Amino acid sequence: MSEAEMPDAGQSEKINKIESENKRLREEIKRTEQERVEYLQNVSHQLVAPLNAIKWHIENLTEGRIGYERGVKVLRSIYSQASIAVHLAKNFSLMSNLEGEHALSSLKEPLEEVNLHRLLINLSNDFQPLAWDQKIDIKVEDDQFDDAPCVLAMKPLISQVFSNVIENAVKYSNQGSKIIIHGRYVLSSDTFLVSIKNQGIPLPIEHEQEVFNRGFRTADAQRKAPAGTGFGLYIARRIIESHEGKISALTENGWTVFNIVLSVKGLKGKARIRDA
Amino acid sequence: MPKTILLIDDEQTFLEPLADALEYKGYRVLKARTAEDGLDILSREPVDLVTIDIMLDPGNSLSDVQSQHTGIFLCEQIREKYPLLDAFCISVVSDKKTIDKIRSLGIRFLRKGETPLRTVLNMMQSMLTGIAYSTERDKD
Repeated sequence: MSEAEMPDAGQSEKINKIESENKRLREEIKRTEQERVEYLQNVSHQLVAPLNAIKWHIENLTEGRIGYERGVKVLRSIYSQASIAVHLAKNFSLMSNLEGEHALSSLKEPLEEVNLHRLLINLSNDFQPLAWDQKIDIKVEDDQFDDAPCVLAMKPLISQVFSNVIENAVKYSNQGSKIIIHGRYVLSSDTFLVSIKNQGIPLPIEHEQEVFNRGFRTADAQRKAPAGTGFGLYIARRIIESHEGKISALTENGWTVFNIVLSVKGLKGKARIRDA
Repeated sequence: MPKTILLIDDEQTFLEPLADALEYKGYRVLKARTAEDGLDILSREPVDLVTIDIMLDPGNSLSDVQSQHTGIFLCEQIREKYPLLDAFCISVVSDKKTIDKIRSLGIRFLRKGETPLRTVLNMMQSMLTGIAYSTERDKD
């Protein structure tokens, strides 16, 4: 090679830089691809579980393997499994929206008056049969919901927030424990605070923020429920943020508490501006 | 004395319909939610057949076992400690490497969601009675 063809030091440094950047990008693509594959596998695992239960329950009913009394219970269980399948499917649809870098507001759900008390009762009814399997009781404390104003929000999305937090509580609660849900209107800040607390695997203080990150699961959570995507709480945070609310979690005195604050007036004010 | 079947799976949704069907057929059904519980039951109860899930909570004393592969660990343990015990793996896991590993231990693998309950029952029955399994009976 003649001297003229030899790249000078500056050039070869540039080439090295480009090559290492190229290598980094290729590794990133590989990692993303791997994550995508794992995510899709997880999605399919999670959906197959309730669907398999529904199929087998129906087989038992049609083959006459169970009596009337048990049959009624089995039908309730089928209903609950179907609710869970719907809940999971909604999460996956939300997740694909978030993956596509769309802001959740672009989903353009209409804003409507949401009675959080009624919503939470309906959701806990959906999850109660699943919870009973572990002898877990879900209790919505009624007293403080009284006379509280409705919250103006994107109802299907807010519903998904609470179902994700409740599902999470059911999944990680100790057998025979209680999940307590209560709500309170805070006049001074014109906000609505919902607390969902359960007794189960604790959330270490260093993970209180991280638990809302995409794909994050604590080691204990991975052990207790191997099939999980770590997306439920991430979706919850994104939806709450799009409503300019707050979501936080901590473990204290054996209780893991999720607090969700939604502004009543804030969003109302915004909605009016948007409507105008 | 009815034959005893141990179901090792952490999903109640899976255990419930299978237990209903097995009890209807007259079997005694035991359930374990973790690998640890499963091995504990095997060590003190007479069990004729066991079903094993792959992704499973290993339990506190086995916390170094990866929950994604608990079932493989269980299959190996069962083959080592109870070489003659009839065993089944029923799981949603479908990667070839895992399935090959399980089959290499002489344990049958069935996919959750795809296998009719009737097929599972007939296969179990044929294992317990020694009467060859026939797909004909799946049509009954």
